[in-house]
Amino acid sequence: MAETRLDCLGEVCPVPLIKTQKKLGTMKVGDVLVVEIDHSCAMKNIPEWARKEGHNVEIEEVDDGEWEVYIEKTR
Amino acid sequence: MMEIKTNITKKVRRKRVNQIPFGVGLLIAIVGIGFFIASGSPKSALMWGFGVALGFTLQRSRFCFTASLRDPVLTGSTSLTKAVIIAIATASVGFAALQFAAASKGLPIPGNISPAGIHTAVGATMFGIGMVIAGGCASGTLMRVGEGFLIQMLALVFFIIGSLWGAKDFGWWSIQFMPKKGIFLPDVLGWPLALLFQFGALLAIFVFADWFGNRKSKE
Amino acid sequence: MDIKKNVYYIKFLKDPWPYTVGAVILGLLNIGMLAAVGKAWGVTTPFATWAGWIYQAIGGQPEKWFYFQQKGNAAALSGSFINDLHSVSNIGIVIGALLATLLASQFKIKKIKSWKQVIGAVVGGLLMGYGARIAFGCNIGALFSGVASMSLHGWIYWVFIFAGAWIGTKILVKYLI
Repeated sequence: MAETRLDCLGEVCPVPLIKTQKKLGTMKVGDVLVVEIDHSCAMKNIPEWARKEGHNVEIEEVDDGEWEVYIEKTR
Repeated sequence: MMEIKTNITKKVRRKRVNQIPFGVGLLIAIVGIGFFIASGSPKSALMWGFGVALGFTLQRSRFCFTASLRDPVLTGSTSLTKAVIIAIATASVGFAALQFAAASKGLPIPGNISPAGIHTAVGATMFGIGMVIAGGCASGTLMRVGEGFLIQMLALVFFIIGSLWGAKDFGWWSIQFMPKKGIFLPDVLGWPLALLFQFGALLAIFVFADWFGNRKSKE
Repeated sequence: MDIKKNVYYIKFLKDPWPYTVGAVILGLLNIGMLAAVGKAWGVTTPFATWAGWIYQAIGGQPEKWFYFQQKGNAAALSGSFINDLHSVSNIGIVIGALLATLLASQFKIKKIKSWKQVIGAVVGGLLMGYGARIAFGCNIGALFSGVASMSLHGWIYWVFIFAGAWIGTKILVKYLI
């Protein structure tokens, strides 16, 4: 049940999503990926993609303009 | 509220500043600026209002034209593609009404009708490449400047420089490729057929985008 | 009363709106603009005017170019900022986006992170600026407003901006991630 942080602060679209896809691909089912973002588009398109893939997703605003997206790999 | 179990401790954050008062202050300033502009040029004051509303809407809905064109290829998502189609379709209704009214009175047709040709294809392709690698299109760049992205401010500077360069070469492109006028579809197809094409094509693309976006992603 | 917990605040000013809601509003605003001032929404034409002003300020003579001798462009170049309709709306867009982020308490300065970003911004900005001039507009003026105006150039633009985005994505993934 590995947990990893992915720092995507300051990245431009669509880099946070691409990095998330790549990182999640290397993880095992049951692992949790925490993506740190400060891009308003990413706080919408990363959860949308991850949910479409069937994973469990939670998103939390941790600071002004900063979010953490928790993705639990389910398959 | 967290359903996902995680042992990761949250990073220590500095005390959060409530920005809402700044927002309210800005809103008051916006209204004030609007009245100031109106005293000199009422039309410009309207444009100010429209601009603020557009920027507000773009940001609130995370609207992104770049993503609408990029994501189908990059991630298989078409949610923004469909949204752009809806925006265009909505505008088309009102535009068509205004245009028909003008045509009936023999007035010039309002709207953006520009010469079409090879320059359109080349320019649009250049724009498409540029917006993806810059991380934002024209409206997206302005929106992100307002959101505080320094990289987009840089992109804007070069956007402006590129515009000057394009203006300089415009004469050459005009001589080589540009017809005198644009082509207004109702002029060529007649109103019924043009409207049928317009809304039929938009619907067809929407349905295709919906189908495409619902396919299971390829691993 | 803590406004941040108010359900209306959260719905309208905090949580993102659905894309569809944004789409309809943008469409209505564009119609409103065309009806109110006689011009559809466009973003990039003012950029050329601003660039022209700056170039004049450093000694250039863009007013001699074919582009700036076209009626609308000449008027913009010799006119004032306040009277240039799309210049004003452009500033409005920036301020409107800023307003939205402040009211949601989500404003943050995002600094430049890498050289790859800089290259993307510089080359991308130049391509967008140049491309928009010769194609008579950007994703707003040519694509959004052009297609909505039932103009052939808008539809052609849509096809090729999509092609450009495809090429740009290949470049982005290969070199700029």
